[in-house]
Amino acid sequence: MAIPILKQADVLIASLQADPTDNDLIQLRDELADRIGRLRSIGVVIDVSALDVMDSFATRTLRGIAQTTRLRGADTVIVGIQPDVAFAMVQLGLTLDGIVTALDLEEGCARLRKYADDEASRGS
Amino acid sequence: MLDQQSLPSSFQFSLRDADIERRKIIVDLAAEDISRITALKDVIAQEGDRYTDDFFRYLRDLGEAPALFGRRDAFAEAKRRKREHLTALTNGVYDQAYVEQRAALALLYSRYGLETRAFLGAFHHLLRALGGDIMKCFPDDPNGAFQRFMSLKKVVFFDIGIIADVLMSERERTISQQQDAIRELSTPVLQLRDGLLILPIIGMIDSQRAKQLTDDLLRAIRANRARMVVMDITGVAAVDSKVANHLIQTVAAARLMGSTVIITGLSADVAQALVALGVDLGKITTTADLQGGLEEAERLLGYRVVRLAEAPGRLSA
Repeated sequence: MAIPILKQADVLIASLQADPTDNDLIQLRDELADRIGRLRSIGVVIDVSALDVMDSFATRTLRGIAQTTRLRGADTVIVGIQPDVAFAMVQLGLTLDGIVTALDLEEGCARLRKYADDEASRGS
Repeated sequence: MLDQQSLPSSFQFSLRDADIERRKIIVDLAAEDISRITALKDVIAQEGDRYTDDFFRYLRDLGEAPALFGRRDAFAEAKRRKREHLTALTNGVYDQAYVEQRAALALLYSRYGLETRAFLGAFHHLLRALGGDIMKCFPDDPNGAFQRFMSLKKVVFFDIGIIADVLMSERERTISQQQDAIRELSTPVLQLRDGLLILPIIGMIDSQRAKQLTDDLLRAIRANRARMVVMDITGVAAVDSKVANHLIQTVAAARLMGSTVIITGLSADVAQALVALGVDLGKITTTADLQGGLEEAERLLGYRVVRLAEAPGRLSA
């Protein structure tokens, strides 16, 4: 099942459902890369609160999404990693270095706005 | 008052027939021993009351287990059970019921604070009296008397094995209950401001406590939507590499959840120990004391704490 991507003002929101397949994740990556340019979004929020496992493939794909969106001029925030998932990831060495994380959707959107504002003020 | 249900759960397994047989093998109790012991029945049974009184008098004179002698009902119960024991000792039947009786008596001892060493002393005293009497009963056959006594001794050690197991498992149970209590008390996660948690850690951190701490903290971050956590380890005397690594993992996990952790109160000793261990705390924000940590956290959250008198736009002085 494809992962839905929602547009909320200038932010794209992808909400992962339980157990996405590797194909779903790849499709999400490609779709996001395409839409960011088309919709001129400032960033992407990926909500993973429904996941109770995060394997190395999912982690690598999320990292790929973050790097791709950065090249396309937008930021990515991963939100809602569950306590157990977070600790398991750390133990597996999947620490998502250099990728922004936030508590939940609200916090993630606020973070993206702040980055956009910072950039705008730097530009002016 | 004392039934099988009140036996500690860890002891229940020993009541199985196979375990009882195993206990008999361990003390080398064979059929010929049992026939020798039953022959002693009359010698011991008629003096049962005297032996019982002697056993408890010996303990009382030693000043052991005052709680047992202070409680009339408990003392009467212990005496009754001891008397029962002396009868059963020479009956030659060492089955599940026998083991249960021994365990129940041991549980009574444990409840009223009779130490294992005191019990062993008194039991040996009783055994000496029994040995003397057995020798006296067979003046013409000292060899046979000695063999009978040795057979009896096997049963005595069979009993001691059961009693020691109960006393020890009771003690372990007490310790584990206390550990549970300490665990519950020891990891409070407190909300100081909206989005700011503090976690004061006091005392030893072992790996189990470290795990509990991580669980509690990560759950609290989720429940309170905490963006900052100040973890104060002023009260932790020693940090080894295992605990340090666990702290680092906790900080990394909190970051994945979108929360920042500041560790405060690293004492000079702890800091030096960590450097000596080569633990890399480079990625973690640390401050010398709790105050510094809180100020840093408030700054990052966008709070500014000012005295009322200095606040702009105050209503009254």
